Amino acid sequence: MILRKCLLIIALLCGFYRYAHAQQALKGTVQDSTGAPLAGVTVHVKGATTGTGTDAGGNFSLSVPADAVLVFSYIGYQTKEVPVGGQTTLKVTLSSSTAQLQQLVVIGYGTAKKVDLTGSITTVKGEDLARMPATNPVSSLQGKVAGLTIVNSGRAGTSPTVRIRGVNSTNNSNPLYVVDGVFQSNIDYLNPADIESIEVLRDPSSIAIFGLQGGSGVIIVTTKRAAKGETRINFQSNVGVQHVTRKIDVADAAGFKRLYNAQRENLGDDPFDFSNYTANTDWQDLILRDAVINTNTLSISNSGDKTTTYVSLGFNNQDGVLKYDNYKKYIARINEEITINEHIKVGADLTGFYWSQQTPGADLNNALWAAPVVPVKAADHLYYSMPSFQRAQVGNPVARLDQNTGNAINNGYRAIGNLYAEIKFLQHFTFKSAFYADLGFDNNRSYTPLPFRYINIAEGDAATDTTFDETARTSVAQTQTQNRKFQQDHTLTFDETFADKHHLTVLAGFTTLYSSSMNLTGNRKDTVLNIPDNPIYWYLDISNQRNPGTYGGGGGEEAYMSFLGRVGYTYREKYLLNATFRRDGVSKFSPAQRWGNFGSLGVGWVASEEPFFKDHIKGIDFLKFRGAWGQVGNALGTDNYLYLPVLNIADVGVFGDNVYPSVSPKYIPDPRLHWEVVNGIDLGLELRALDNRLSADINFYNRTTKDILTYVTLPGTAGNYSYYTNLGDISNKGVEVSLGWSDRIGKDFTYSISPNFSYNENKVKSIGNEIDFELLGNGGVNRTATGSSIGYFYGYKQTGIYQSEEDLDRMPHLSNSRPGDIAYANLDGDTAITPGDRTYLGTPFPKLNFGINLSFGYRSFDLLIEGQGVAGNKIYTQRRNVNFAVVNYETNRLKAWTGPGTSDVEPILDNTRSNNLLFSSYFLEPGDYFRLRTLQIGYTFRPQMKWKTGIRQLRVYLSGQNIKTWTKATGYTPEAPLDNPIASGADNGVYPVPAVYSMGVNVTF
Amino acid sequence: MKISGNIQKNYPAVFMLIAVVTALAACKKGFLDRDPQGRYTSDTYPYPQGSSPFDQYVFAAYGALRSYNVSATPFIAAVSIRSDDADKGSTPGDGGADAQDMDNFPVSPSNGMANGLWTGYFDLINKCNIVMDQVANNEEITASDEIKRQSLAEARFIRAYGYFMLVRLFGRVPLIDTVTGTSANIPQSAPGVIYPFIEKDLQYAAANLPLSWDARFVGRATQGAANGLLAKVYLTEKKWGMAMDAADLVIQSGQYDLSTPYDRIFGEDGENTRESVFEIQATADATTPTDYGIQYASVQGVRGTGSWDLGWGWNTPSTRLLYAYEDGDPREARTVLFTSTPGHPGLTIYGEVTPLGLPNPRYNNKVYTNPAMRNEVGNRGGYWMNVRVLRYADVLLMYAEAANEAGNTAAALEKLEMVRARARGDDANILPEITTTDQHQLRQIIRHERRVELAMEHERFFDLVRWGVAADTLHAAGKNNFSGSRDNLLPVPQAQIDLSKGELTQNPETRTS
Repeated sequence: MILRKCLLIIALLCGFYRYAHAQQALKGTVQDSTGAPLAGVTVHVKGATTGTGTDAGGNFSLSVPADAVLVFSYIGYQTKEVPVGGQTTLKVTLSSSTAQLQQLVVIGYGTAKKVDLTGSITTVKGEDLARMPATNPVSSLQGKVAGLTIVNSGRAGTSPTVRIRGVNSTNNSNPLYVVDGVFQSNIDYLNPADIESIEVLRDPSSIAIFGLQGGSGVIIVTTKRAAKGETRINFQSNVGVQHVTRKIDVADAAGFKRLYNAQRENLGDDPFDFSNYTANTDWQDLILRDAVINTNTLSISNSGDKTTTYVSLGFNNQDGVLKYDNYKKYIARINEEITINEHIKVGADLTGFYWSQQTPGADLNNALWAAPVVPVKAADHLYYSMPSFQRAQVGNPVARLDQNTGNAINNGYRAIGNLYAEIKFLQHFTFKSAFYADLGFDNNRSYTPLPFRYINIAEGDAATDTTFDETARTSVAQTQTQNRKFQQDHTLTFDETFADKHHLTVLAGFTTLYSSSMNLTGNRKDTVLNIPDNPIYWYLDISNQRNPGTYGGGGGEEAYMSFLGRVGYTYREKYLLNATFRRDGVSKFSPAQRWGNFGSLGVGWVASEEPFFKDHIKGIDFLKFRGAWGQVGNALGTDNYLYLPVLNIADVGVFGDNVYPSVSPKYIPDPRLHWEVVNGIDLGLELRALDNRLSADINFYNRTTKDILTYVTLPGTAGNYSYYTNLGDISNKGVEVSLGWSDRIGKDFTYSISPNFSYNENKVKSIGNEIDFELLGNGGVNRTATGSSIGYFYGYKQTGIYQSEEDLDRMPHLSNSRPGDIAYANLDGDTAITPGDRTYLGTPFPKLNFGINLSFGYRSFDLLIEGQGVAGNKIYTQRRNVNFAVVNYETNRLKAWTGPGTSDVEPILDNTRSNNLLFSSYFLEPGDYFRLRTLQIGYTFRPQMKWKTGIRQLRVYLSGQNIKTWTKATGYTPEAPLDNPIASGADNGVYPVPAVYSMGVNVTF
Repeated sequence: MKISGNIQKNYPAVFMLIAVVTALAACKKGFLDRDPQGRYTSDTYPYPQGSSPFDQYVFAAYGALRSYNVSATPFIAAVSIRSDDADKGSTPGDGGADAQDMDNFPVSPSNGMANGLWTGYFDLINKCNIVMDQVANNEEITASDEIKRQSLAEARFIRAYGYFMLVRLFGRVPLIDTVTGTSANIPQSAPGVIYPFIEKDLQYAAANLPLSWDARFVGRATQGAANGLLAKVYLTEKKWGMAMDAADLVIQSGQYDLSTPYDRIFGEDGENTRESVFEIQATADATTPTDYGIQYASVQGVRGTGSWDLGWGWNTPSTRLLYAYEDGDPREARTVLFTSTPGHPGLTIYGEVTPLGLPNPRYNNKVYTNPAMRNEVGNRGGYWMNVRVLRYADVLLMYAEAANEAGNTAAALEKLEMVRARARGDDANILPEITTTDQHQLRQIIRHERRVELAMEHERFFDLVRWGVAADTLHAAGKNNFSGSRDNLLPVPQAQIDLSKGELTQNPETRTS
């Protein structure tokens, strides 16, 4: 309704404008050098505010004065000025050969022409992200950028894990996000449709300007601004259904009964009395669902001589495939820029963000573990409990879901804003100051209801009875968290071209960053009344203060300060030189350790600009060689105050019923703690050939991280403390290849194919001289040692199953191996299986990442196919190595060994045989997969229709994501978590990555 | 002209920004100096004035005594489930291989509970070493020598307890006697080195601890606790005379007697009585139902449903233990809680009838909690139950055993009769006084008395090993996998050997078997 009114007003204004001036109508088309129409080209009258954009067919129409000069501009293409000269139709060709040369790339504290870069930066256009059904823009980068590993989660509102060029550190390897200049650790608060472009900076020469925070790579996000000379209203909407395509294959009731009784028999026990357990429940089915995902964005942009304005409203709603899982985000943005005069420009951006989340009450592992023989519920608030052999450890998954449903209100606000001013003086100088603030407020209110009643089904002597926990009481809890971040950047830039061939850019800057947080939490249990299950009562003061409760609060702060500089020089756009420097100080380290200097040097040669090349080499349109070296620091993810001897005061001394405070060290402080240092070189080649139809971008890199910051597990003799220190060197070597081919067949058919892949070899060169113990993760499953990949899987190698006593006589075995146990390889040359036989079993990190994008256009139809995958890694199915209770079996156990010759893979059913629980290749599976990531078909409406509706362009599309995954992994998704480098790759019930079937619309007025 | 005019116009803005930058740069030192928010460091802690300025470190060591590894599942499994008096309990597969192996042997080097014991006791020892380090090196705390000696004595008492557990559990262990930080990776020392170290700690503690504490500090380590533990150390080393002397110091101290009836010792109202020589203290209320307590009773609680879900049902009395009691010994009823069977209701000491069809026929009655307390705290886990580490009856029986071994039969009989007399109560028909003077016979009688008096109380497995009868006894109890040379000790946890880069070595019997 409002939209329609706006349209009406705008239409009226346009109409009035048209009649107020004596003008002529002009129609035209814009195409590239191959003759393909260019959509979205901005067309405006020079020196006036009149303008429009081309539709999908490259068509535009405009009323202009007869003597007007039209300016055609399009990102990545050379801007062209065309005098109308009385014509009524125009055919304009924008040169695509120079287009890529002129393409601007966002780099730290400025922009640069892509051709002038000496490092490897990949740009992804915002529109490629916005059309994917995802609430988090990062997730859609998967498969699009060589050298980028993205691990997506299907959980609503969860940010993906991102690794750029492998794992550089044993600690935090997350990249730095820089959103319109603001340093961020995530971009959860952004709406994909508000993003103009994302730049992925991978090599040290590109990231050195970010100093201490850029060590693991940088992702620069530029949000949308108003396009020049026009008013535009855009609405995008996408609605989809998420469906879990892969469930974990667990035994049904009959299978479970058979396997559990076989296990009891092996343990010498009688069969379990299942006589009253007659149900066959698929618990996964009961807690999973098909879930809706919906994203909507309305944006209005306006640009005049003095001001440009971009306003947008976004609403994203994602239900998780686990019942009740839900995440909503509401985003409002305004970007405003005022040109005061030709020297001074000021601007402000403001983003308001509100999110709310319902966390799922159900638990996937719970559903996998629960015995399928139990019925769900008998009546409201009356559920069946699990059989006695797992009752204490495993609850009824549906009861748990229902018990926890609707008992928490989680939401948060965030306001991110900046103010900047830019002053140009003495022709070549620009001074820019920007102040940023990011304020976040998160709230949580929750309620613990009375428990349900449970029916315990009769087993053996025990009759069926109903139990209720009478000691349980209702309680409420509240939590508030406040995050504050302030940043200021001041830069002075000098930009001048001497004698038409020497182009020099010099940048000097100063920046500070301060962030702090505060939290307050409390809960109260009402021992007299039952607090009703209604959110209006979920405040601490609903119960009087005599009721028991606990309260807590804490805070933290950190600060950064930096001086930075950069020099860029190009000679005839042929020889390129870039040098950067940054001096960083950070509060996380002791005064003696906190300041560091970082920098880089890059050179480039555009061979295709050489006269001999132009004269003699045909078919190659552009060829550039580049090389860069850089040194950066990394202190991201380092906790505050680790160099200080902070005390733990949570433990107490108890004497009788008296409780006294006590202190003990919270951790072992390392006063010499400092950042890790990343040294890297990067060699690259960029090529475009065959009339720019073929493009190639190839990079080789070699980088070494020294003094890695990491939490290490100390030997038990050191006491139960964590220790965070610098140790060791890790190298990552690799190659990244991005290829592209785009062409047209006939007049109507265009297509492009762009595959990319990257190979990374990770090697620990040393783990330092400081420690004289091993670096182990996940209880010793992952080992980090000199000469191998970081955090590799370390254990026994399965050779088969001991079939008989004779096997045990002739084969090396563990001291207590018995027939039916896993046989391990004897690698250390002695006569028995001993800890010395453990070996390298694989790495959790994919060595190979690949993606392929195919796009086709036929008249108004477009088709997009994207595939993506990884190879060379292993997944530890830790969810199967559960031994704290009897839990349901995955179907691989249906083939368990039952006697000689019955299995050579699956050991006997007996969870008390510790040999079979030792970490071994039995628990590993290949992590390789290939996923059909996107299949999208779209139709863009023809321009003739726009006159009736005011619509300039309308695209509708159908899309399928993650439709099919080819893998041997047995989990919900082959993407096991990689967030802790020294303890990665374990599947403990990873949240499913669902298939998403969606449809969307993108309309511009 | 126009350009320069504009520049002039813009100069104020430029200068303003430059001024801001300069001002920020000037305060650079302060900007990056960020003190911890809401946290103390050892330099900023406002040390309290009171009994001892080192108490806050001492109390951390007491706190570590309550930890899961030191006083709950791994502890119970190692000291009791390994013995012939107790079964793992619960349902057959519950706890998996880790628990099963503790009951039936051999314990694998990958056993999580063995690793828990190793890390738990070393953490405890570390907290004691911190106290000693603070007393020796913290110049900011002023305290009298007497106060310093008292704090050192408490730390050394707890450290000795830690090492006494470790040496009996693992044999060879690294000897860590300073705050080592990251250089804690050292080789193991032989028991021959560890035992004198423990003796020295306890001798110091006995000489410097008070006889008792006032009510505010009830349960802190005392002279009696140090001497009592020292007696057990000597007994383990077969130093009979010294064991007698140490035990006698406890007996003569006037702090302890047998006035507490046997059936009262183990309940909530039996905590810190004159029977108690050392108890690990625990408490709970509705606000903190678990944090200031111990998971000790919860692990052994009745494994029922609803209001009978009192815990995991581990460490259940074995049938062998039932047969061990003399006819009519009332201690059996206070030790064993029976599950009701059709026609045979099991009664708790509070008169409740236990349910039918629980997974186990018996549970440890000594950790059975008062239902009123469960309601008051709003938790059925019994985290408030103290762990009785050393009772007066134990001291008397140690004296009796040492005296008998030393040939002083009369003294042995006297102490033995004190314990039996209390158990007998007013019923003259049970538990007749022992009069034999045959040393061998009396040895068996004293061992039997230890077993039933201290049943389910952390002594049995170590006693069997100490007496050199573990293999025979456990084989008789059906634990045929037990190999004395290998299973008297737990294996050195493989996780620790791995972390140590081979500095630690496996016990030879585990390595080769």
